[in-house]
Amino acid sequence: MRSSFKRLIACVVVGLVSVAGAVSAADAPPEIPLTIDKNQFQPTEVKVKANTPFVLVITNKSAKAAEFESKDLRVEKVVPAGKTVNVRIRALKPGTYSFLDDFNQQATGRIVAE
Amino acid sequence: MGGTFVITLREGFEAALIMGIVYTYLQKIGAERHYRYATRGGLLGVLASVALGVLVTALSGPLLDLGPDVIGLAVILVAVMVLTWHGYWMQQHARAVKGDVQRRIDEAQASHRLWIIGVLAFTGVFREGAETVLFLWGLLTQATSPSGWASATGAVLGLAMAATLGWAIFRGGRHISLQRFFAVTSVFLLLLAAGMFSTGAGRLEAMGVLPQSSMAWDTSLVLDDHGVVGGFLNGLVGYRARPSLLEAGSYLFYLIVAGALLFRSGPPKPRARAPRGQIPAHAA
Repeated sequence: MRSSFKRLIACVVVGLVSVAGAVSAADAPPEIPLTIDKNQFQPTEVKVKANTPFVLVITNKSAKAAEFESKDLRVEKVVPAGKTVNVRIRALKPGTYSFLDDFNQQATGRIVAE
Repeated sequence: MGGTFVITLREGFEAALIMGIVYTYLQKIGAERHYRYATRGGLLGVLASVALGVLVTALSGPLLDLGPDVIGLAVILVAVMVLTWHGYWMQQHARAVKGDVQRRIDEAQASHRLWIIGVLAFTGVFREGAETVLFLWGLLTQATSPSGWASATGAVLGLAMAATLGWAIFRGGRHISLQRFFAVTSVFLLLLAAGMFSTGAGRLEAMGVLPQSSMAWDTSLVLDDHGVVGGFLNGLVGYRARPSLLEAGSYLFYLIVAGALLFRSGPPKPRARAPRGQIPAHAA
């Protein structure tokens, strides 16, 4: 009884791991770098392909935490000082999507999907 | 200085409002002895915020990518449930108020699980808490130059202002009638919960759990939700300048379902719940 329970757990774990592996391997979306430094985003305009998911790789090079926020993309993501955070973004319709650093609102930028 | 003041005021405002409301609420039902539920909930919220702030700084890789999102979603979910339950309860109680003051106070304390107040206080503080901790921490480490000091001072003043507003609600709320207080706060909490529900749906949409939908409207030129006024409205009643159909739909869905639950007309349900041993009857 107990060993079959263990086997079940093992199966579930293996299943989950393989699903996770398959998902990450199957759609490795393009990575788009974005840097926060000297109270600015770099670049301030990010061009992406419309209708294709992508990963924003946000690196905070400044000495204080930043919060990447975009109501248009429904993302609110703290990026601690000196860290890099990956944000998966779903396929976007053609258009402009604004974002800002919620901790330093002069820092703004936009994603242009075309 | 002005910029950081507005940011912490906005982050702290929701927490202050909720804390002001729950303390007033406990005072209204004569449960001053149970302020500790609210106090502990709020303090735990602060502790959890600091802990998450530290954790986020220490984490990296996939944990940092997904961890805060999952926690954020869980907090939103719990907050919506607690707000709905509390609103429903207040509404039931406000309508059932018929007897003498003492009896209704006894009933209130007996039939409402007061620990839910603690959860309400916790989620109210924790929701924007970790962010505020990280923001303040960043400012304080930079407070070596005069402008750094000004920014840090502005941020602290913003939080103090938020706390003052919460206190003002508590002071002012004491003077209005129980029924009016219940009516006003249940409408406000309903809108707050609808906003959170819609935010949660939007997050799930962005994460790919829920299907993607197109934009319902665009009022970003009239009232931007990243701006000062729009930002406050966003936090309080869930205003969005460019919501997706799913977000707008879930807002409406929540308003209709919870609104029907809260405000349907008709005689109050019999509320013959025997006092539970958990909370001792009011000693008069």
